[in-house]
Formats: sequence, structure tokens, C-alpha cells
Amino acid sequence: MITIAVSKGRMQDDALALLAKAGVRLSPASLESRKLALPDESGEYQFIFVKPADVPVYVEHGIADCGIVGRDVLLESEVDVLLPLDLGIARCRIVVASLDPTVIARSFGMLRIATKYVRIAAEYFGARGIPVEIIPLSGSVELAPALGLADAIVDLVETGRTLSENGLSIVEVIRDSTGLLVVNRASYQLKSAEVTRLTSALSCAIEGAPAA
Amino acid sequence: MTRLSKLPPGMRYYLGAEARLRRLVEDTAMSVFEGWSYEEVLTPSVDYYALFEQGMGQTEAQTAFRFTDSDGEMLSLRPDVTSSVARVAATLLADRERPLRLCYAAPVFRRQQQSHAEWRRESTQLGCELIGVSGEAADLEVLLVAAEILKSIGLEHSFCITINDVGIFNGLLNELNIGPQSQEALRRLIDTRDRGELKTFLERNCDNTSTREALFKLAELTGNQNVLAEARSVINNEDSVAALDKLGRLWEVIESLGLDSSFEIDLADVSSLDYYTGLSFKVFVRGIGYRVGRGGRYDGLTSNFGSSEPAVGFVLSLDSLVEVLGQGTFINGRTPEEPRSIEPGELPETFRSAVRERSKNQRIRIEPTS
Repeated sequence: MITIAVSKGRMQDDALALLAKAGVRLSPASLESRKLALPDESGEYQFIFVKPADVPVYVEHGIADCGIVGRDVLLESEVDVLLPLDLGIARCRIVVASLDPTVIARSFGMLRIATKYVRIAAEYFGARGIPVEIIPLSGSVELAPALGLADAIVDLVETGRTLSENGLSIVEVIRDSTGLLVVNRASYQLKSAEVTRLTSALSCAIEGAPAA
Repeated sequence: MTRLSKLPPGMRYYLGAEARLRRLVEDTAMSVFEGWSYEEVLTPSVDYYALFEQGMGQTEAQTAFRFTDSDGEMLSLRPDVTSSVARVAATLLADRERPLRLCYAAPVFRRQQQSHAEWRRESTQLGCELIGVSGEAADLEVLLVAAEILKSIGLEHSFCITINDVGIFNGLLNELNIGPQSQEALRRLIDTRDRGELKTFLERNCDNTSTREALFKLAELTGNQNVLAEARSVINNEDSVAALDKLGRLWEVIESLGLDSSFEIDLADVSSLDYYTGLSFKVFVRGIGYRVGRGGRYDGLTSNFGSSEPAVGFVLSLDSLVEVLGQGTFINGRTPEEPRSIEPGELPETFRSAVRERSKNQRIRIEPTS
């Protein structure tokens, strides 16, 4: 049996839809139950639903063999897992946003960046030699510039509506982020047949999908 | 008191049954090494930092605990054993007949954990080095020693050794004209099988369609000998093909010994290029989410000491093995016999009987005076 950790929240519905297309289904009854670990209908898979940032943790320790999680989370956590398949779900962008679209060009001394993505932000500005003070926040990052906490934010953007509602516009796009299938290094070898079956079923489901 | 009662992160105790199991596993491994004519070597726990910088490469060595000696020289708690084994082979044992077969069971220390899942900062390595011979016979020998250790501690049906030859990837790398930073990025993308990003990378950095196809394919080439055939259909440079042939010959022997269910070929395992020069392998065991051992050929190792000679070896993590075995499904450490109680009384009489029983090798316990 293979255990799959799925990110709760925006990734979950897309992930379950894609899995269903690949023939891996959770019964409505088990989805409604409050159990932590749910078997699929075939009994070949077991699902656990955890916070996005915890998916790589479960997978790296081998408690879950596989996981479905956004690239943003992986980049931020720097875990050592395999990422054999880009599922193309929950597509969004990691961006720098500010009240002032020219904030980077106009900054000389120090830029204050509020973000949940401390590592991604440090890496991005570090690579370009732009000095930044990173202010870690755990939510409602969009408020920081309006309240004067930061000059800009680094955040995940899907439609951009929350940004514009807070008067922010995208200054630069750092990169795209989509949901990926991640696999534990040991499971990839020790359960290779099962993992291969899952990845091929998911690949077929992705290719068969009508363009979104 | 709270400050004194806590342990530094990554450190732990071993007690009771677990400590006995640990000793049993260590003894079993050492007797397998001895059975293949490997001689135990004990190296210093503290050594010059420069040794490890040379032996392991700068990035790895930086994970070591460092401090300065009274004369200002930088010292280190050893982060690996191989570096000093290479030194002893090239210096003290320089004139000894080759091949040298050396083995050890020794704790190593890292200031920085190797990954989130490998929490320990002190761990004991069971390892061996076969120095002075190249070729497939030597490669096979160490692979089989590793397999025998895993079998003799009761993990026969639970382990998987993945093998690769770094020559395959290096041959393909030579077809590309990219700098060291891009090479490292490419290595990482293949090692993590990040095929989404790999595709973008290759479109940007690789004009040659056949090289591009081969590198993209490499990320998914894991399995039995079919993998080699698939690799041959997309790879045609001389170096890579020679490495594929070598791997094929290893596989033939593994198969003829009936061990192919415990081995796997993993051409995407390109995690340690600056170190290994040929065969590289990793050991996985059911019940542990990260590798419990690794090894390979590092023909450049002793060249740091002026004499370049071929070498191949591996390490297994005693701590990880004990962790798996301690989960109870495999073997248990020796359970000691019930001790004979020595009742307290006059001191001379008490200890006369204690010594008498001990001379018969009877396990005893001196009871407290009530």
C-alpha cells in the first residue's frame, strides 16, 4: 500500500479530481468522515490530508511515500525528495508586489520585504545583489505595504484580486508554481512498482485532460 | 538543573535492549568484514580539518565540528572515516602489498544534520575500503560484502541497493558546453527527477536534440537491466557507453547470484559527482525513509597524499540499521540470562562467592543490604 499526503486547502480539490481521473477514488463517505488516514476505494492507497508545509515533512521522513504539494512549498522548505511529475494543477505565480510598481528600480539602500516565503525571497534578491530586510509573516501579507511595515511583499498569486483590492500591483514575477507529485527517496526504490503505477496513471490523466 | 539535564540537538543515549542490539549488529558486521579478509583499522576521533577538506570536498567538510588546536591549527571531530583511511593507506601502509582491505566501526560527527530526516549529529559508520585494485571484481566484492551484512542481520528481504556509474552522466555532460554552475543545476534536476524543470532547462541550455533526449530520459531510468537497454537506445558517446557496459557486467553477476531482487539500477542517482569516479551506490531498507548507506569508487581519493590508486568502499549507518531492527519485526539483541543473586553478608564471604561464580562465568547480581 502507498500512502499519499495531500495538501489541504486550494490544492486538495484539484488533486482529488486528477487522482479520480487516474482511477484513484476516495468514496464520498470516507471523505466526509473525520478520520486522519483514508483508504481509497481499491485499498491500494491511503490518503492523509495535512497542511501544505507539512506534506514535504511527511514525505521526507517516509511516513508518506508520496505527496501532492505546490512548488512554492518545496522551494521554501528545501527538502530532499524526488519530484518526478508536474501535475499542472493549482497553477499560480510567486511574485514581488508593491504599492509602487517601480519600487525595486527606485530602491538603493535597503528594501523591506514582508513574506511567508522567507527563503525564496532571500534567494531571489540575494542572487541579484539587492539588499533586503526580510520580515516573516504568517498570513495577510497584502496588508504589510499599506500599513507601512514593508516596501513590497513576496507572495503567491492566483488571480491577483487580493493584490488589487489592497492597492498592490505585481512588480516582478519570480516564477510559476504548480502542484507536483513528490516521492520519498527510499519508497521510490523499495516500492518502485507501485510508485511507477501511480505516476503513469497520473501522467495519462494529465495528458488526457482538456486544456484548462 | 534544566540546562544540565538536556542534550545537545542530534545527540542521544542508547540503553538496555537497544544498546545490546546495537552491539550485536556491529559485531555481526565486523565478522562479515573479517570473513572477507578486511582488517580493522582505528583512526583518531580528532584530526586536522584540512584532511577532511581534501578528503570529502569543501561543502561536505563544512558540516563538521571545528575548533582550533593550541598552536592555531584547525582541528575537527571526524565527519567521516574514509579520509583518514585513505591517508593511512597512502602513508603508513604505502609499502604494504596491494590490495589493502580495511574496515572500521566508528562514530562520526556533524555540526549540521545531513537532511531534515537524518536528525542525528553523531552516528556510527560501519565501513570498508578496498584499495589498490580497479575493475569489476573489486566493485562486486564490496557490493556483496554490503549485501551479506544486510542479510546476516536479518534484513535479507527488506533492502535495496541501487547502483549507478557516474561515467554515464559525465559522458553526457561532456556533450554539453555549460559552466560548473549550470552543471550543478542539471545534476540536481536529474537527481531529484524534476522532469518539469529539467525540460525547461534542457530547452534553454542544450541545442543537440539527441543529448537533450538522453538527459531527459536519464531522469526516469530506474529498474532492472531493461534500463540499460533503454539507455543504450538514447546514449551514444563513448564514455557513457563504456560505463553502461560496465554496469551491465556487474548486473549479470548480480543476477547469476540470484540477488537481482535486492538490487536496482538507478541511472538518475547522480548525487555525488565530485567524489565518486565510477560505480556509486546507495542502500535503502524498508522502514526508513532515507538511505542507510552509500558507497562507490573514488579513484582520486589517495591522490591527495601523492600516490594515486584505485579505491572502492562503502559505509552503512549503524544507527539507522538499529532503528529498523528495533522496530521489532526482525532480530532482537541477545537477551541476557537471569543472574544468580549473591545475598549480602560479611564482605569477605559475599565477594568470595561472587568471584567463585564469576570464575564459572555465571552471571551474578550482588543484592543490596536491606
